[in-house]
This record gives sequence, C-alpha cells and structure tokens, in this order.
Amino acid sequence: MTAYGKPLPRITPDNRPFWDATRRHQLALQRCAECARFRYPPAPVCPACLADGAEWAAVSGRGTVSTFVVFHQRYFPSFANDIPYNVVQVQLDEGPRLTANLVDVPNAEITVGMRVEVVFDDVTPEVSLPRFRRAKA
Amino acid sequence: MTTTIRDRTAIVGVGTSRFSRAPTDTPMRLAAQAFKSALADGGVDRNEVDGLVINIGWPLGVDYDRFAEALGLRIRFADQSWTHGRFVGPTLQHAAMAVATGLAHCVACVCGVSFIQERGLLGGPGDFEGTREEGGTHEENPVYGLTAPAAGAALSVQRYFALYGATSAELAAVPIAFRKHAALNPAAIMRAPLTLEDHQASRFVVEPLHLFDCCLVSDGAAVVLVTTADRARDGARKPVFIAGMQGMRAGPDEFLFATPGLGIGQQREFRYAPTQEQLSVYRMAGVTQKDIDALYTYDAFSPLVWFVLERFGFCGLGEAAAWTQKGRIELGGELPMNTSGGLLSEAHVSGWNSIAEIVRQLRAECGERQVRGARVMQWATAWGDSTIFHS
Repeated sequence: MTAYGKPLPRITPDNRPFWDATRRHQLALQRCAECARFRYPPAPVCPACLADGAEWAAVSGRGTVSTFVVFHQRYFPSFANDIPYNVVQVQLDEGPRLTANLVDVPNAEITVGMRVEVVFDDVTPEVSLPRFRRAKA
Repeated sequence: MTTTIRDRTAIVGVGTSRFSRAPTDTPMRLAAQAFKSALADGGVDRNEVDGLVINIGWPLGVDYDRFAEALGLRIRFADQSWTHGRFVGPTLQHAAMAVATGLAHCVACVCGVSFIQERGLLGGPGDFEGTREEGGTHEENPVYGLTAPAAGAALSVQRYFALYGATSAELAAVPIAFRKHAALNPAAIMRAPLTLEDHQASRFVVEPLHLFDCCLVSDGAAVVLVTTADRARDGARKPVFIAGMQGMRAGPDEFLFATPGLGIGQQREFRYAPTQEQLSVYRMAGVTQKDIDALYTYDAFSPLVWFVLERFGFCGLGEAAAWTQKGRIELGGELPMNTSGGLLSEAHVSGWNSIAEIVRQLRAECGERQVRGARVMQWATAWGDSTIFHS
C-alpha cells in the first residue's frame, strides 16, 4: 500500500518501456529505425515515415519550457494542498514535448523559453515521474 | 469532378428551451420542449422528421435512440458523435449532407444538455477521458494535475502571450463584448455589465485564464431542423440556406484549442498563413470574409475567439489581440461576433444556441441586437470547421 493519492500513469504495452526507463531514472523515447526521428507519445509506427521499427533511445532530458499554466481551481481533491501549482510543457532538445511540473521554481518566475532539465520523483515503489527543474548553467 | 452542396439545404425551423444555471429539468425534457418549439417555428409536422443527429449524448445529454423513442420519431438517418462540443459544426454538416444526398428529408439536430448535473465530468476524477494515454482530449494529463478543458486553452494563450506580447487585459475585450450582446438578449443568463476591472479582478481558474474567460456551466436545449431548400421555401418562416461548409481539421499541424502551428502538445510549430484549402468554405459559398455580416464561434474560452479570427484570415497571425479591441467584434463594429452572448454569457448549449442565433438574425427577428441588413453569416471554430449561411 502507498500513501500516494494522486492519479498514476496508465501503463500499457505501448508505453511500458518509457515508465521502465523512468524507474531507472532515465528518460527514453522511441526513435524511428528508418528516419531516426524521435516520437512521443509512444506509437506503433513513425508518424513521419510510417516505418514499424523503433528503438527506445535515451534522450538528454534537457529542453525548453514551451508553455505553462498555474492551477488555481481545485479539480482533483488529491491536488488541493498544492494549489496554486504549475504544469509545464517542455520541448525536449530531441523534439517531442512532455507535460510535467517544474519543481523548485516559484510560479511567478516561470517563463516560456526557460531552459530546464529532467529530475525523477519516485512517487511509489513502482512509478517514478519525470519532472523538470531549472537547468544548471 | 466535384459536386457542391451550396444552397441545396436550408434550416426551416429552430427552437430553444429556457437556459438556466439551476438544474430544474432533465436534458430530455429540455430537448423535447426545444423540439416542439422548432416544429412550430418552421411549420413542420413531426412525421416529416426522418433524420436525427446529436453531438452531446449521455451522460451530459440525450442520446439518439432515447430521443427518437420518447418523441415517437421514425428515423432513417441517425448519427451521434463523441460527446464533445467540438462536433457541433460537423453534426450540422452531417444533417445537411444527409438531406442533400437523399438519405433523409428533414433532419433534427438535437442538443439537450445539463452541465450542472454532471459538473464532475468537467475536469474532476469522473472525467475518464482525461486519462487517455499520453494526453486527454484537451491535452489533459491528470498525473501532473493538468485537468479540465480550460487547461488546454490556458496552455495555448500563455504561449500566444509570450510569442506576440499580448495580455490578459486585451483578452478581456472578448468576454466584455459578448456580455454587451447578452444584455440585449432576454434569454441570456449573464446580462449584468462586465468591465475590464471586473475581468482582471476575477479569480484565476487556470492561470492565465480568469473566471470570465471561461464559459457558463448551464443547462439548456436547442433544436435546428435542416431540410431541402425547396421544402424550406414552403416553411412558416424565411429559409436560411446552407451555402458552404468545410470540415474539422486534425493532424500534426493541429491542437484543438490553437491556431495551426502554435506548438502545443505535439503540434508542429510553424508560421501559419491561411491557404486556399484552409479557406475553402468561402469558395463553396461564393463569398469572402468581407461579405460576412457576423461571425459565430465556439467560445468555451475567450482565447478561442482570437484563434478562429487568425485561422480564417480575418486578421494576421499574432494580430488578433489588437484586432479585437475598440468594439470591433461588438454589435455595430466591423465584425460582430456571437451576438446572443455565446457560451460565455448566453448559455452553454454546446454552440447550438449560436446556430439558433444565426438563423434568427438572418430572419431579422433579433430586436435590439439585430445586425442591420444581415444577409451572410458564418459559423467557424478554432479547430477549423466552418459553415456559411445566407438568407
């Protein structure tokens, strides 16, 4: 049993390698075996060239805040104590964007274009969530 | 060889229920009232209705099978989409296509909806769509607390603010304009004046969206009857012809709540300028943007108004914030929008209240808020579908 009361990712055969990697504190994305393009979310074929083959490749974990919001209204009881909390979208240097939270940065200091890097939060024994922090210079 | 649907179909009747923020009636009761009112409005017999299309079904609204059963309709063309407001335009288009191709003689577009009784679906733990793998239907991701449709519009407008230097105070021009329209509409729920100060002082829902950037949570129903142009000419009122249509967009260039290319979620980032193909609705209708006497859009959140203006080329990319100032989208302005008050101030009947308003405007039935000499009006959304109507 765990005290973590927030929603957990729905792990499926398609996305299991992503969550297995985060459990090891690695960020990995599918890379097309034909055109080498990274893709996210996990998908059975490359959206650019429709090739089936892909490998799960480690990415830098570095990127740029492409947009963000701050929640003031409570929608989930489990987030009530976090209000106001941020949610960011981060464009990874490899291309795809991830949704996550920015940690250790006051909401008022978040800007579009801010450089960030991934950190991992072991929220349960089975699940580690990637979040981001301000990139070290 | 292309065929056209231009002017082959028309709206013969519309009906609306009372709009309310108190849950006094079931969606079925509201829809039944609106349906009977549409029949009376158009001078249409119930037995003429052989098509039924719906975009808001259970649990928010009424499903096609139950409605046909409850109203004793013998339906030979039924169509119901995923329960989302985004399908209001496509649902109306399916009605017109069914009539134009002879699959039905008269199609009732029915929307009876109670957002009040199902409030928990609007972003709470009951919103199971938000848990869609790697992205909800408006970019939700409850794992990170990103829930509710408002968040999708907030993500987009935050990036828009950063790219173009636009501000929340400029965005306020949208809800302020629509509130002025609602003040002239006895059916509207929110009719008290809204000032810039009220807007800026209102609480944030999902920052940067303030409370008044978000539509009403309300109950109501609207019914629109689509039939052949010939049948509509024999109706009780002036027919409102469906002159042109283009479908909803999807794919790598798109995010539901953004101009193409803004770069939200996995949406490709590029500098959008509308192509002929993006504006095909005007070609089908044989008009241009300059002929549009009023524009109607799905204003669930005020940024969607900016995005639709840019998508359809009423202004350039990044220009909508400045373009919507100084009364330009108000009655009497260059391009009145959502003249009933829209989802922001009239009611959230999934956009069907705005379709009903278009019909009433084109028949010159709108009293104090009538657009003088209106002949051509357009429905268009941030996600790219559009339908043009004329009297």
